[in-house]
Amino acid sequence: MKVPIERIRNFCIIAHVDHGKSTLADRLLEATTTVSAREMREQILDTLELERERGITIKLVPVQMKYRASDGQDYTLNLIDTPGHVDFTYEVSRSLAACEGALLIVDAAQGVEAQTVANAYLAVEQGLEIVPVINKIDLPSARPEQAAKEIEEVVGLDCSEVLLASAKEGTGITQILEAVIRKVPPPSGDRDSPLQALVFDSIYNNYRGVICYIRVANGTIRTGDTVTFMATRKSFQVEEIGVFGPDMRPVDELGPGEVGYLICNIKSVEEARVGDTVTSQRIPAKSPLPGYRKVKPVVFCGFYPLERDEYPQLRDALEKLQMNDAAIFFEPESSTALGFGFRCGFLGLLHMEIAKERLNREFGVDLVATAPNVIYQIRTTAGEMIEAHRPSDFPEANQIEEVLEPFIKITSFVPAEYVGKAMQLCQDRRGFFLEMDYITPQRARVVYELPLAEFIIDFHDRLKSVTRGFASIDYEHSGFRASNLVKVDIMIGGDPVDAFCFVCHADRAYHRGQEVVRKLKEIIPRQLFEVSLQAAIGKRVIVRQNVKPLRKDVLAKCYGGDITRKRKLLEKQKEGKKRMKQIGRISLPQEAFLAFLKAGDEEEE
Amino acid sequence: MRKRSKRERSGSPSAISLYVHVPFCRSKCPYCAFYSLSPAIGGISSFLQALEGEIELFKREGDLPRIRTAYIGGGTPSVLSLPDWKRLISILERAFTFLPRAEVTVEANPGSLTGEHLSLWKDWRVTRVSLGVQSLQDKDLLVAGRAHNRRQALDSMAKITGTGLSLSADLLFGLPGQNLRSWGETLREILSQGVDHVSIYQLTLEEGTPWGERPQNDLAEGYPFYRWAQYYLEKKGLLQYEIASFARPGRWCRHNVSYWTGGEFIGLGPSAWGYMNYERTRNIPDLAEYCLMVSRGNKPVCYSERLEGDRLASESTILALRTRWGIRLQDLRRDWCKDWPERMNAALEELPRDLFRSSPGRIALSRRGMRVGNSIWERLLP
Repeated sequence: MKVPIERIRNFCIIAHVDHGKSTLADRLLEATTTVSAREMREQILDTLELERERGITIKLVPVQMKYRASDGQDYTLNLIDTPGHVDFTYEVSRSLAACEGALLIVDAAQGVEAQTVANAYLAVEQGLEIVPVINKIDLPSARPEQAAKEIEEVVGLDCSEVLLASAKEGTGITQILEAVIRKVPPPSGDRDSPLQALVFDSIYNNYRGVICYIRVANGTIRTGDTVTFMATRKSFQVEEIGVFGPDMRPVDELGPGEVGYLICNIKSVEEARVGDTVTSQRIPAKSPLPGYRKVKPVVFCGFYPLERDEYPQLRDALEKLQMNDAAIFFEPESSTALGFGFRCGFLGLLHMEIAKERLNREFGVDLVATAPNVIYQIRTTAGEMIEAHRPSDFPEANQIEEVLEPFIKITSFVPAEYVGKAMQLCQDRRGFFLEMDYITPQRARVVYELPLAEFIIDFHDRLKSVTRGFASIDYEHSGFRASNLVKVDIMIGGDPVDAFCFVCHADRAYHRGQEVVRKLKEIIPRQLFEVSLQAAIGKRVIVRQNVKPLRKDVLAKCYGGDITRKRKLLEKQKEGKKRMKQIGRISLPQEAFLAFLKAGDEEEE
Repeated sequence: MRKRSKRERSGSPSAISLYVHVPFCRSKCPYCAFYSLSPAIGGISSFLQALEGEIELFKREGDLPRIRTAYIGGGTPSVLSLPDWKRLISILERAFTFLPRAEVTVEANPGSLTGEHLSLWKDWRVTRVSLGVQSLQDKDLLVAGRAHNRRQALDSMAKITGTGLSLSADLLFGLPGQNLRSWGETLREILSQGVDHVSIYQLTLEEGTPWGERPQNDLAEGYPFYRWAQYYLEKKGLLQYEIASFARPGRWCRHNVSYWTGGEFIGLGPSAWGYMNYERTRNIPDLAEYCLMVSRGNKPVCYSERLEGDRLASESTILALRTRWGIRLQDLRRDWCKDWPERMNAALEELPRDLFRSSPGRIALSRRGMRVGNSIWERLLP
């Protein structure tokens, strides 16, 4: 049953991670009987196995709910769930573009956190009506008045009518639904104008091809229409349109203000870019809807198959993953140590980890990830600008005029007693102090500018640890700045090994070079000859160590003419070396590389 | 028709080697993988009887070859009493013809060796005694679970040299807690006891031994010990003629050299290995089974393999490279494996030159090469 546009409400939920967003969404689905109690399971909108396991939302899922309000009218509510982690801020901004209102959830015990503010500002910028909700009022440590005060003071929203809820216990849910109807404006749109529908997300389905999530702004879209994607100028015939309930339910038509899906035999996500506008081929709209900027990956690392002959499987898996996650970037690369693989770009470390796990779980690919790095811009002495996605993209040291690295502006909410430690951490990570103020006597807001490279290593974990888990952060990119950066080559037996090279600040090159060489010394099996391990900047060797020649198993007793025993030992020994990688004269077991990359992980944790 | 062996082809049977395994020990060392059991009453006598039976089985196949070297090992041959030894000697004498200058070695342990044993051996035809000294440090001996102490070892060595037999000492390195200082001390003292020959073995963790199943902590790394022995023993006039063996000139163990150079040998006793006519056999490593099989007129063999082609070539090369003489290029027989010389060269050419001794027409490992022998041999596997 279709409702008129005045009775449609499109809204999303924004919150700091862990403030109970997904649970609240579950309750709304239940209260509107969109999902029967029988079908109900925890975090129903988190469809990825990984999302449930980690308790986070990665992909946004739109769902349509029918609700009979206290005024006796039937309303259609489109809820667009959003991810909470900073890595996925771009997904948040996408879902905001499809809404007129947002529920801002704040944890009654924790109060306003960094992402509460960041996401609320995003929503305000988009012109959304914001409905503040204080959740988890059932907690013994809940301080709803304090939380409300923080919302007023820090975010600047009127909290005179703030809603109190406990999604866990199901209290306050009806009030929330009523508030959505009362406060969130209905969409505006003209049925008779040419079609304009925003593609705010897309996924790839093996049977149906690309499924676009759309929000119609003007005009209507029907099955059988021929539509054009305005950015790519590609046209397709509409096979099916429908709404999410939360499963896909076909409908005949989607009109202004409605949210649903579009299937039209699109084979590649590239042909239906997120942010594009769909219009009618017959009567095209004059201009597209404002889209959003294409997100650029900021963290890069190499993915290599564990078994070398699984390169094609890895490529297939990455292609499929990219269809569901357009933010992933990849291109082939090869490494002397690891063979053929891909240089992959991600929105952040969590994004990278999740991609790695999804490749493993959903596509069964075992892979090795090299240490992550950021993009560098290099101005050469010849005046050229080079973008380096990996250390090996660096030109010779004498051809480098200057190196620029990406910086982020990081905002952290920290309890007063940990401010000193948090600032010390930022200083240690080459941060520039921007500002600091107290939002309440107990909590401060600290703003720094920080090299992204320092952030991606383990900044978040370190900050959590020095503040006993109380600090929250949000960041935005703030452009490139020149830094005194050097590329450090690691050489084994005189040959540089790309997998171990890294870029770091000149002041730390010696220390990190030493660390890498020491680690390598532990894992490189002894050879028949002495092997030198060196860390060098250009031609200048800064660290040097040697692996002494083989010493173990010098000889064994020959058992009364038992030659076979010795032979078996030798055969066993040979078998063990089969998996080794030859670098110059040196054989390195694959395990050594894994151990090296692994050791890096552990240090970061 | 049975394929004729080398000695048959040459007309008169040429002399070969003989190994007799005496499978008894008073106590079992925790690292040892040789077959041995404690000398229960009746066990020794059934062993000797079966040994005689096994020789009879050989006789059925034709005349027994003459013996140029013999090695009576174990186990601990010195745990046999004098009457048992007399019986063993008469069994061997009745069956075999020993060449006039045959080398005959008996293995002995300090705990069980007596002067009477030595006189008996000397009066028979024993030329050398290989004594399981292992170490002259009581601490090491205790750790290694040996049944003797330093005093007994010194005493046994004096007795052996006093009898005029050539003395060889087995030493063990890489023991838990062992250090270079105590190892150096042991080597020095051994030399002052008048040894002609020293065999040094690195403690190896073998499957099926107590230490193999539960490795000890703080096992000493072998390299420095080995390196020191190479330096010190050669300086004192004992030449390294094989990976694990050092001897005064002319005193090398001809029996062992024969193993490394592909010589044929008969192996008698439970778990003994034999090698005849490119066929390697192993006797069953169980005394009761061994006796039973022999009494039924069956050869007590539990494993055999025929070597040919690249396996034969590979093994011959690897074994020869254990010795200081290495392998003579002209001995790399093309009929074993046509492309072996090329394969061997390819496997060795990328290695540093200083791992080899330069010697025209031969390939042999240098001292440095012997220290990493395992890795070199590995490249020569077929």
